[in-house]
Amino acid sequence: MTFDPFPSSTNGNLDEQISQLSQCKPLSEQEVKVLCEKAREILMEESNVQPVKSPVTICGDIHGQFHDLAELFRIGGKCPDTNYLFMGDYVDRGYYSVETVTLLVALKVRFPQRITILRGNHESRQITQVYGFYDECLRKYGNANVWKIFTDLFDYFPLTALVSVESEIFCLHGGLSPSIETLDNVRNFDRVQEVPHEGPMCDLLWSDPDDRCGWGISPRGAGYTFGQDISEQFNHTNSLKLIARAHQLVMEGFNWGHEQKVVTIFSAPNYCYRCGNMASILEVDDCKGHTFIQFEPAPRRGEPDVTRRTPDYFL
Amino acid sequence: MEFEVDEKELKAAGAELLPDGRRGLRLHGWEIESIKRPILNTRQLQEWEQKLESSHFPEMIFGDSSLVLKHMNSGTKIHFNVFDALTGWKQEALPPVEVPAAAIWKYKSESFQQVILDYDYTFTTPYCGSETEEINAELGREATSEKGNCSLCWEESKEEIDLASLALKEPILFYDEVILYEDELGDNGISLLTVKVRVMPSSWFVLLRFWLRVDGVLMRLRDTRMHCVFGKSTNPVILRESCWREATIQALSAKGYPSDSAAYNDPSIIFQRLPIIMRKTQKLKLPGTP
Repeated sequence: MTFDPFPSSTNGNLDEQISQLSQCKPLSEQEVKVLCEKAREILMEESNVQPVKSPVTICGDIHGQFHDLAELFRIGGKCPDTNYLFMGDYVDRGYYSVETVTLLVALKVRFPQRITILRGNHESRQITQVYGFYDECLRKYGNANVWKIFTDLFDYFPLTALVSVESEIFCLHGGLSPSIETLDNVRNFDRVQEVPHEGPMCDLLWSDPDDRCGWGISPRGAGYTFGQDISEQFNHTNSLKLIARAHQLVMEGFNWGHEQKVVTIFSAPNYCYRCGNMASILEVDDCKGHTFIQFEPAPRRGEPDVTRRTPDYFL
Repeated sequence: MEFEVDEKELKAAGAELLPDGRRGLRLHGWEIESIKRPILNTRQLQEWEQKLESSHFPEMIFGDSSLVLKHMNSGTKIHFNVFDALTGWKQEALPPVEVPAAAIWKYKSESFQQVILDYDYTFTTPYCGSETEEINAELGREATSEKGNCSLCWEESKEEIDLASLALKEPILFYDEVILYEDELGDNGISLLTVKVRVMPSSWFVLLRFWLRVDGVLMRLRDTRMHCVFGKSTNPVILRESCWREATIQALSAKGYPSDSAAYNDPSIIFQRLPIIMRKTQKLKLPGTP
């Protein structure tokens, strides 16, 4: 089962790339291209409900906050010493989407059994054009090729994961969908596509738990909320202990909902460099159960502090 | 880049910075302070949910942040805070604005039960600042104009804020911007309430701005400007101008303006494209020394 898809000579090269990326230095366009080809071969073999063994550390949104991802690895342990499951939203908002997503994909290629990277709603062509990743690629590479390579790769990211502990944890970016009753429903659709505007794949990446029972539709006219009754039913039907999801900012970095049937995990501290929130990760272990670890922003070098403003003669 | 105040200019203007690391200054009988704190935690949010009778709030609520301009002699406090702004949102309760994807959602008829939530997710607020009069600070009694205790009454005014004098490059003794709340509308745009202040040797000036962009649908800008010129009088006068602008993307594109949201990131650049739908000027005369 320890099949290594690449001969060790390429690992040497890959290790160098990981080391370069760990210093927040991006790869060349050609290197990104080769890396993403390898990643695609690995990701396309993964299931829509990717099985993951414990012990594993579950993480939420990162949003291009590279230095905080580095802090996460310092606190949670290096990959592959610690197994990781990331629940999406690697890009947009922060200043280092390119370095962040490249590092995670490089780790995936180097240690495919040790790290799982799910798709978030920001791993999409449409969203990244509005919220930063596209512009960052243009700025760092002078053209949109790297953006195209990554967004093509995002189509292959698995949508959900199932962590086996004493009872199971269902992990995904957003939440439940009224079109999905069982995990087999998730396993059975073709995920390799841009995130659609509606339907089960859209819901898994976008929906939110809510205090209101049943299914709610956002006042925006699109997007579901699901109540505690829905979570209870889903967990019961699928013999799950817990739904772990990301997608929403919470001050403490994690937030229990629905009588501990759902937990939200957010791993970008001081989100957008101004919220002052904590980040957290969830360590899941057969023996020790689960432990949340909270962390604060890494000390910064060379990043603009958006809370301090240059005076202007506004009118 | 930290804003460094020129000591000489402060001294020349008779201003002193606030002590103990607070952000702000005292000048001409005013104490002006900006307070910036992290977003509300879960426990605080639950309290707000009860007080405001809503379980839906902006994603980022800087509930403990504020801008306070206090006239020390009269005890009058002009302040900008999130709680009052969201109270205004609850009261105005605008009908929902549908995003473009809503059309596809409606088209699909689903067989299960669902409820369409009906709060105003754009968090549009008519808020234009709060004022409090500390009648006797020791007794802790407070009166606000909203409660009809009308020693603090904004009156309609024909005067206008003197933008020409504000355009002069007078030294800025204190400057800050405080974000009150922000929401990304589930990646459908932005809703943002911020307040900026600048204090010069001759006056203070505040801009409270609510900025909304629902991608592909509409933009809304609600600005409130306040200006107070320092004078010899012990009863200062504050001018307040509110200006609301709004346009649908459809209307803008019919006028030949771009319709992609990337073109509308900064309201201070595009505001003139949005037609004015409401404008009023008011004046507040501060009471004298109690």
